[in-house]
Amino acid sequence: MVTVSSFPIWFVDVVGSVLMIVFTFVSLGYCLELKKNEPTDIIIINYLLWVCVALAVFAISRSAGHLLKQIFLLSGHQALWTATQPFSGAINTFTFIVVASVTLFFERTWAIYGTILKDRQALQTAHEELIYLNQNLEGLVEERTEALAISEQKYRRIFEVSRDMILVTRTDGRILNINPAGKQLCGLSTASDSAIEGQLFQNYLSGPDDWKNINQHIENRGFISSEEFDLLLEDGSHRRVLLSGSLAKTPSEEGETIHFLVKDIEQRRLMQKQMAQADKLASIGELSSGIAHEINNPLGIILGYTQLLLRGEDPQSDRYNDLKTIEKHVRSCKAIVEDLLNFARTSHPHKEQIDIHAVITDVVHFVRHHSNLENIQIETALAPKLPSVLMDEKKIKQVLINLLMNAIHAVGRSGTIRIATGTNTAANRITVEVADTGHGIAKENLPRIFDPFFTTKPTGEGTGLGLSVSYGIIKGHGGHIIVKSEPDQGAAFTLSLPVSPAIAER
Amino acid sequence: MQPTTHKLQWLVVIVCLFWPVDGLATQAHAGIEGVWVHQFAHVFFLFSMGLLIFWLRQAELVKLPGWRYIQYAALFFILWNLDAILVHLLDEQILAVTVNTIGPWHIRINAAAGRDWLATVYYLAKLDHLLCVPAMVCLMLGLRHMLQENRRSQSDGRLR
Repeated sequence: MVTVSSFPIWFVDVVGSVLMIVFTFVSLGYCLELKKNEPTDIIIINYLLWVCVALAVFAISRSAGHLLKQIFLLSGHQALWTATQPFSGAINTFTFIVVASVTLFFERTWAIYGTILKDRQALQTAHEELIYLNQNLEGLVEERTEALAISEQKYRRIFEVSRDMILVTRTDGRILNINPAGKQLCGLSTASDSAIEGQLFQNYLSGPDDWKNINQHIENRGFISSEEFDLLLEDGSHRRVLLSGSLAKTPSEEGETIHFLVKDIEQRRLMQKQMAQADKLASIGELSSGIAHEINNPLGIILGYTQLLLRGEDPQSDRYNDLKTIEKHVRSCKAIVEDLLNFARTSHPHKEQIDIHAVITDVVHFVRHHSNLENIQIETALAPKLPSVLMDEKKIKQVLINLLMNAIHAVGRSGTIRIATGTNTAANRITVEVADTGHGIAKENLPRIFDPFFTTKPTGEGTGLGLSVSYGIIKGHGGHIIVKSEPDQGAAFTLSLPVSPAIAER
Repeated sequence: MQPTTHKLQWLVVIVCLFWPVDGLATQAHAGIEGVWVHQFAHVFFLFSMGLLIFWLRQAELVKLPGWRYIQYAALFFILWNLDAILVHLLDEQILAVTVNTIGPWHIRINAAAGRDWLATVYYLAKLDHLLCVPAMVCLMLGLRHMLQENRRSQSDGRLR
């Protein structure tokens, strides 16, 4: 049991009740003002307003109740307080529930309100964008059209000026579009677009299975990359190309299309072949040179001793004839060895300024006197003002004689041999072409014609060293020798010799 | 649904409707029940204030001074509710404490089993306005901050 003063309780009760009423009404006033000023955050303000109203009711109910309690108790009206108390308590209970309920729903409502605000912002942004587009549509379309035109022009230019073939076909190979380089490559420069469209690309591929292989690649992987094929040209010749292509991912109005890029690598392939040929001949030259050097000395000794023995022999004796046979064959061997050395370019040419036309005239004159040329025409087409060239006259004559003798042999009984000269100012060279109308060179023999001892003549008619020696001599002069030939359409050998710088400047 | 089950349900409905028993539809509410309801309301209020603090912190609104004050108000309301629940429990529910007026300004607090400490706790707990008034002060300060902020932003908007 504790006996205490009731004044603190009474004081805190009375003052607290008055303060509660004052503060809740001030808060309610703030809320109302906020609601008036801030219509955007209406959910929050409404929540706070509900809380304040509920608390205001609570404060009035409770504080008024407490005040009445004190008044009734002090004035001795206990019964009145007993009658009032349940109302005050019930209202208090009700206000607690209102504040709690409003608070519980506030969070949910607030989250939904946040989503609405976000959506409203998105709608507002979309609305602003639409207004902008509406106001600037014409300008934007114009700008876009211009950009598209520039882009189209750029890619059209690439298509037009490309040095490689750019080709668009359907999946069945029908040509839809081909650039000028492609038309030129396929020999369609003069054909109209309508004539080209609808043609099959596979008709321009030399292999019967080429298109099938290309299609298989594209079906399997969606593209084909840098594969080599031979194009069949209008004149029936072939051209090696590097082909890449891919299936267009977005089908156009023509259906699925394949875009090809075709690069002509014929020149590169020829050059590679020539380089391989030159490498092969250089290797053979080295081998020949080694063998020739080794054989040359013993042959010299054999020849020397044979000639020594011949001096003491009676020219009428059998022994003398035997020795003469030995001498003859040793001399043949030495000639072959010398040819091999010429091919291997071991002996340095004695170069001097020479007029090539004079050399050609001498050679033609020599050949006409030493060969049977009854039905064979030798024509010359000598270019005017050909610069003189630094060369070994004897060796160049040997080359020309070799080429002419081969031509005579190829022509047979009747035909024409044409010797033409010219200049290639870009490369600073002169050219001499010896062409005949003979049987030509078989395709399989073309890579081997400069090989030592390769000959198509019957055994005993040729050593197979003529062209090898010529090759060695021309290479020794810093030049090239190339051959063009088709079976039964003759052959043309072209010598290309460099003009010395001093002469070139003149 | 099977036809037999359907018939059984109808039978149960008919029996329930026509079986003569006392009418129990309306429950009487008297005595201590009002105190329980009041106590539940206090618990509900307390719980909602706890949730309000949690949401304000989760939404990081407490970084704003106005909402920070409202958070403090909620905290004081929680304490006040605990205090009120304790007082109602002691003098109205378990009747652990009785109060007699022994003079104009003196009261005698009788705690059950002579627990004087309980009488002291009850006496202090009766001073509940020391908790609810600060709660209202914090709520008012929070709203005042919000209003000031609102006025400032409006005047800035006008200046722009």
